[in-house]
Amino acid sequence: MSFFGFGQSAEIDIVLNDAETKKKVEHKTEDGKKDKYFLFYDGETVSGKVNVTLKNPGKRFEHQGIKIEFIGQIELYYDRGNHHEFVSLVKDLARPGELTQSQTFDFEFTHVEKPYESYTGQNVKLRYFLRATISRRLNDITKEMDIVVHTLSTYPELNSSIKMEVGIEDCLHIEFEYNKSKYHLKDVIVGKIYFLLVRIKIKHMEIDIIKRETTGTGPNVYHENDTIAKYEIMDGAPVRGESIPIGSSWLAMRMTPTMRDINKKFSVRYYLNLVLIDEEGEALLQTAEITLWRKGDIVRKSMSHQAAIASQRFEGSATAEKALAQAQGGQQLSPSAQSTSSLGKRTLCLCVCW
Amino acid sequence: MPATQQSMQDDQEKLLDEAVQAVKVQSFQMKRCLDKNKLMDALKHASNTLGELRTSMLSPKSYYELYMAISDELHYLEIYLTDEFAKGRKVADLYELVQYAGNIIPRLYLLITVGVVYVKSFSQSRRDILKDLVEMCRGVQHPLRGLFLRNYLLQCTRNVLPDDGEVTEEGTTGDINDSVDFVLLNFAEMNKLWVRMQHQGHSRDREKREKERQELRILVGTNLVRLSQLEGVNVDKYTQVVLPGILDQAVNCRDSLAQEYLMECIIQVFPDEFHLQTLNSFLRACAELHQNVNVKNIIIALIDRLALFAHREDGPGIPADIKLFDVFSQQVASVIQSRQEMPSEDVVSLQVSLINLAMKCYPDRIDYVDKVLETTLEIFNKMNLEHMATSSAVSKELMRLLKIPVDIYNNILTVLQLQHFHPLFEYFDYESRKIMSSYMLGNTLDNNTVIKAQEQVDAVLKLVSTLIQDQPDQPSEDPDPEDFAEEQNLVGRFIHMLHSEDPDQQYMILNTARKHFGAGGNQRIRFTLPPLVFAAYQLAFRYKESSSVDEKWEKKCQKIFSFAHQTISALIKAELAELPLRLFLQGALAAGEIGFENHETVAYEFMSQAFSLYEDEISDSKAQLSAITLIIGTFERSKCFSEENHEPLRTQCALAASKLLKKADQCRAVGTCAQLFWSGRSSDKNGEEIQDEKRVMECLKKALKIANQCMDSSLQVQLFIEILNRYIYFHEKQNEAVTVQVLNQLIQKVQDDLPNLEACEEAELIKKHFHNTLEHLRVRKESSEADGAAYDGLLL
Repeated sequence: MSFFGFGQSAEIDIVLNDAETKKKVEHKTEDGKKDKYFLFYDGETVSGKVNVTLKNPGKRFEHQGIKIEFIGQIELYYDRGNHHEFVSLVKDLARPGELTQSQTFDFEFTHVEKPYESYTGQNVKLRYFLRATISRRLNDITKEMDIVVHTLSTYPELNSSIKMEVGIEDCLHIEFEYNKSKYHLKDVIVGKIYFLLVRIKIKHMEIDIIKRETTGTGPNVYHENDTIAKYEIMDGAPVRGESIPIGSSWLAMRMTPTMRDINKKFSVRYYLNLVLIDEEGEALLQTAEITLWRKGDIVRKSMSHQAAIASQRFEGSATAEKALAQAQGGQQLSPSAQSTSSLGKRTLCLCVCW
Repeated sequence: MPATQQSMQDDQEKLLDEAVQAVKVQSFQMKRCLDKNKLMDALKHASNTLGELRTSMLSPKSYYELYMAISDELHYLEIYLTDEFAKGRKVADLYELVQYAGNIIPRLYLLITVGVVYVKSFSQSRRDILKDLVEMCRGVQHPLRGLFLRNYLLQCTRNVLPDDGEVTEEGTTGDINDSVDFVLLNFAEMNKLWVRMQHQGHSRDREKREKERQELRILVGTNLVRLSQLEGVNVDKYTQVVLPGILDQAVNCRDSLAQEYLMECIIQVFPDEFHLQTLNSFLRACAELHQNVNVKNIIIALIDRLALFAHREDGPGIPADIKLFDVFSQQVASVIQSRQEMPSEDVVSLQVSLINLAMKCYPDRIDYVDKVLETTLEIFNKMNLEHMATSSAVSKELMRLLKIPVDIYNNILTVLQLQHFHPLFEYFDYESRKIMSSYMLGNTLDNNTVIKAQEQVDAVLKLVSTLIQDQPDQPSEDPDPEDFAEEQNLVGRFIHMLHSEDPDQQYMILNTARKHFGAGGNQRIRFTLPPLVFAAYQLAFRYKESSSVDEKWEKKCQKIFSFAHQTISALIKAELAELPLRLFLQGALAAGEIGFENHETVAYEFMSQAFSLYEDEISDSKAQLSAITLIIGTFERSKCFSEENHEPLRTQCALAASKLLKKADQCRAVGTCAQLFWSGRSSDKNGEEIQDEKRVMECLKKALKIANQCMDSSLQVQLFIEILNRYIYFHEKQNEAVTVQVLNQLIQKVQDDLPNLEACEEAELIKKHFHNTLEHLRVRKESSEADGAAYDGLLL
């Protein structure tokens, strides 16, 4: 009806109370673009105004009620029809009736629980949004507004280093160590790689960061692996006794906190792949999962922080040297700590200690 | 092969060219972005630029060129960033940002560049960043790329290393210890990479790789240079931290190429004062080096440096508490001990430098020098060497060794004090002994070293016996006569250096020398004995001078002459004639002049010996003429003979003269004899001249008669002119028998004969002679007109 210029229509606009000051963050949308959205945390109150603007002031505008919803939902792309809402809050703003002029309605969702982090993945999306609806007899007028939620964690209580030994019998024996198993998103990974035995010619070594998104359950499980970054940490062939430092702050790129079994629908996990490439181009790799978490307030790093990062590397090296000394002292890996798994053409001896 | 080499070179040029082009493009982009303040983009381009350094295709030389091109561009970035920081612009987390670069080579180069900017701008972070940088570079294990990366690190940090005496802001971290650790670690890692290069690639390219490694060694050495430039590296730090660190690396890398270079580098880079304090540890490390290392060169370099230092005029010299020589001597011994395969010439050249050290640092310690010789001797004894060939390296080294004391002391007597000099000398073969002996004698002569004692003479002559006597190991063929003469002349000259102020001692010396030279064989004694005889005559004169204080001088003179007689007789036995004849004549003169008791008998004996030599041994007519001329001359000078002895001698002379074979010789000899009857002197007339006018005239007439018999007309004229000259001489001496008429007759005869001579060069000479003779007469005549009529009637 409004096409013909008669009948009344209205526009809805959602304005957050602290829109002027509220922090916005970039977030990737489904089509891969990045947009800025308001940022909320778990338990934060979401409040604002819904402006209903009438197109033809003075004319009556009939409606069946006005409401606003706060929704948190998971969409699986292969199952577009079904959205799994894990949060759904509704506030009625107006009972069915008439509006004769544009009107503003305040709303407030106090201390809303937002248990999960916003996420846009290959096969799944977890989003939060506000939806204002004016119910009409024929077609409702709705307006959605996406927000982004970051889940914050406290420092993990237990954060032991990752130590692994890996090798090919009589060819290669290396030991590597990452200083932690749990990293926050702006963290620095510090580590060392020890070459206890080198009888093959290594060309270079890199660490790949792998994101693995798992969706679905039972037989319908989909894994989506994504190499986020390749990071060369060694060039050339080391000799026995050499130790190669790892030290980099490359975690901030395109990464989210680790998500495990979110609402029984999906998981996002991260792995560090240590990849060694020898002169024949054959790769040897060893994977270790790391847990990523988001740290509370993000303070500008000062120079002393830089220094702290730098010095951390040496503390790591001290322990690793001890390990090397032990290994050179004739200590072979205890058989119980070894488990073999087939990987490529080569057999790796693997020992993981968390 | 050259073709492939050429194509390889072309390939290299092409690859390098491509890489440099890419660097130009990317670095241009980087600068543009910097100009527009787009830092992240600039870093991306910088990273792309640096990506070129990831290549494995370039040779070290080409890689170096590429590296230089790129490091210039990075310098631009560094300056930009430093400026930005200075302006207060906060470039957040730059140190972390550059770490996003996926490849390690660009990442680390950028990290270093930014790291240094941070250190300059936030000096609180210096210590940690330096540590981080040097540690992170471990990620590059490829030798060539790693070496250049670490070189870049070293270059960039050269002005920001903590040091003593630097002016710092508050809160600056790091001290000299951090710098030392930093450079030592970098050095150790670079050295490992450098050593590892040799294990890369095919073993057939080994030589090429060694060459490449030599080209790259300066990169490793720069670390040591940097350490030496640090103010804070003082003697203590050097002794306790720096040197042990370097040596540890050098010894443990077990690579001869690296070891040789590093040890050399240590010596050259650090100051002498440091070396003095660390001699023991340095030398101990030398003993532990790889067997292929030329330890000799290293130790020699150190010794030479310290010797130079000790010698420097403005320097403090060697501190008294450092027993430089003892330390070196011990350590060198242990080095030699630890290296059984060391070639013996190297062992000797080590001793050469030891001796140099002793000479330069302790010039008055002869015992040190002797100790070195002793050590060398012991080593030789152990090796069972015998007469090493002149051409062998060890012989050359030994010669160097033994020449040093000769050259430095410039006094053979000091050399003689070295107990072990002579035994070592005996290890030479014949040729070398000869060369060395000549060298020592030459040195003695050059320095006018006088040998004053009989024992010394004995020792020297024993030492140089190769020149004095035949040797069991000398070659069977005769030596080159010219060389031999030169060598023996040297010995002859040397005899004059045997001189004692004390005549009795001198006599002993001559006796000793005589013993040595006497055994020299016929070839040598003709050179060596004559100087000895002259020395003996000289000694006799000295006794005469001391006649007032020495009662027994006459007896001693007698002894000397019998010594001379014996010596000359030795020459006669060697089938020599003219030489002994002359020596006898000389002796007769000397005896006559000294005039000791019995001198006439001695002189007569000597004269008669000369005569019998003349008669028995000299057969060549020319030699006869010159011999008889000499005899006549000597006899004419002698005034010691009584008439009893004089008469038979002069008659004998005249007789001998007239018995010569050739007429011309007869003529001349007889003419000469005329002199005997004029100026000869016998002791009977108190030494006055005989002036027997009649006998003179007889002689001259006889000469004329003989000349007349001469067939060769030009020779005849020549003889006439010569006789004319004799007449003129006696005329001037107022021999009454020689009248103007006699002169006129003779002049007339010559004038008659002269035109008949064939025109030739000889005739010209004869005419000139005659002309000069007449000219002389004319002058005499004119000048004497005033005082007499001696020349009246002379027809000219």
